[in-house]
Amino acid sequence: MNKITYTPRVITAAVILILGFIIAAVPKNTTTPFKLTPNQILNELKNGNQYLEPDMIAQMIVEKNPSLQLIDVRPQSEFEKFSLPGAINIPIDNILSPEYTDILHQDVMTNVFYANGTTHANEAWMLVRQLGYLNNYVLRGGLNYWAETIMNPQHPANTSPDDELARYDFRMGASQALGGGALTTSAPADAPSASLPKPKPQGKKKKVAGGCS
Amino acid sequence: MNPYLAGVLLGLVVLASNVISGRGLGASGAVKSAIVAGVETIAPGHAESAPFYKKFGDSHNGNPLNNWLVYEMLGVIVGGFVSGAMSRRLTWRVEHSPKITSKRRLAFALAGGILFGIGSQFGRGCTSGSALSGMAVLSLGGFISMAAIFGTAFAFAYFFRKNWI
Amino acid sequence: MGPLVVNEIISENTNLLLAFFIGIGFGFVLEQAGFSSSRKLAGMFYGYDTVVLKVFFTGAITAMLGLLFFSLFGWVDLNLVYVNETYLTSAILGGVIMGVGFIAGGFCPGTSFCGAAIGKLDAWMFIGGLFIGVFIFAEGFPLWEDLYMANFMGYPRISEFFGLTEGITALFVILAAVAMFWVGEWAEKKFPREEY
Repeated sequence: MNKITYTPRVITAAVILILGFIIAAVPKNTTTPFKLTPNQILNELKNGNQYLEPDMIAQMIVEKNPSLQLIDVRPQSEFEKFSLPGAINIPIDNILSPEYTDILHQDVMTNVFYANGTTHANEAWMLVRQLGYLNNYVLRGGLNYWAETIMNPQHPANTSPDDELARYDFRMGASQALGGGALTTSAPADAPSASLPKPKPQGKKKKVAGGCS
Repeated sequence: MNPYLAGVLLGLVVLASNVISGRGLGASGAVKSAIVAGVETIAPGHAESAPFYKKFGDSHNGNPLNNWLVYEMLGVIVGGFVSGAMSRRLTWRVEHSPKITSKRRLAFALAGGILFGIGSQFGRGCTSGSALSGMAVLSLGGFISMAAIFGTAFAFAYFFRKNWI
Repeated sequence: MGPLVVNEIISENTNLLLAFFIGIGFGFVLEQAGFSSSRKLAGMFYGYDTVVLKVFFTGAITAMLGLLFFSLFGWVDLNLVYVNETYLTSAILGGVIMGVGFIAGGFCPGTSFCGAAIGKLDAWMFIGGLFIGVFIFAEGFPLWEDLYMANFMGYPRISEFFGLTEGITALFVILAAVAMFWVGEWAEKKFPREEY
């Protein structure tokens, strides 16, 4: 038998192995239940946590943000007539079908439900939220509001605050980039371009910055 | 310092960074900030039109140099200097194998730097930002970067052996 | 509780100040470990000095275990800690380019700043190269944007990828590291070099 010598390597290896076995053996700290109670969902609904603003979605579409997944919950016939760029169709009747579980229950993509109004999209959201799935959202106002704000934005009064004008510029740019809408620009004549100013950050939760970028 | 002890201390720095700021360490990101700041100063028109700078501007607000990674890298320079001073290692010199000239060493250092600069942008972080910090949070990308960096370096070690041994 | 800045326990500006102190710690440890010497760093790839392997893996494992235990005690919310995004194609491509850069230049970005701080002129050259490299990437960005964005996989943890718990994944990483430490010290005996 060799005598064990207590070199730094042996000590380090022993310590990290012991800690490794401990951490492998203890269950993960999961204080949040997998399924939500109706009260919790009601609370989220009241706070409107599930809504994402059309401006933000338009920005993501224009940027071709790879994490955006639009989900059209209207019947297939309506989906075929018109849909947002890159959207997939999951009619609300089929939302619980197992073939869509992989799409709805994941943590890579930001899923955004939409229909003409918000009722069906909200129903879809409540169903999947009740199952504890994360990263599912609802397009605020649905397609009707989308058409009003993004595709045919109304020019705000000239006395409006600057950020309202900026938002209008952004929407004009977005609607042109998405191939729709009118062809007027906000500033008279000398407007240089319809570039896309960044919309104000949305959402209450702070996003974690990080990485080497 | 014993390497394992140094490793534990390094781990505590990464841990502190995650607990305080919710992120790992980085180095190449600071170079990127400096480049963006430089281009914005020298050629503002170009910085507005070229997609790379626009993308950076979209995801960062204000002065590109007012950035977590930039402050952290300033700290690295101070920390390295203090450590070097304490261990009496402060000298201007080119470190190289006795078999090669200083000039050759400097040329290879420059080439290596260029490659690392390009690679760190593709990899979205360098050895510290992507591999070390990524592994600490068990990020899949961190493990891929680590394996790719060290694997390639091992694979190419033979061709560069004259420079080192 | 943690991460402090995300939970708004400290302000954004305090965060930047603390970044400076975290950097000092980072630079100090790197220099003390000998990472300001390119020949020590390159030694790993020829087996004569595996200090990089030891420091790198001990560091990653310490931080990993620290985060898992902190999360267990409820001191830090791992869901709020940044997990690097994974774009498979560019992660591999970038890693390969960096690997060649590493063996040619003998530094990585972090250690080159450390070497530069104590007066290594080769480290200064390497930093100059870094700036040129990032500039090349920035200017040519439209050429490789598609490659850069290809195969987005989200922000996966390796534990989720293999369907294991985080603790068991950590144990596997530790076992691999312990094996590598053993091989490293064996290699140092097998391929010794005189003092350099």
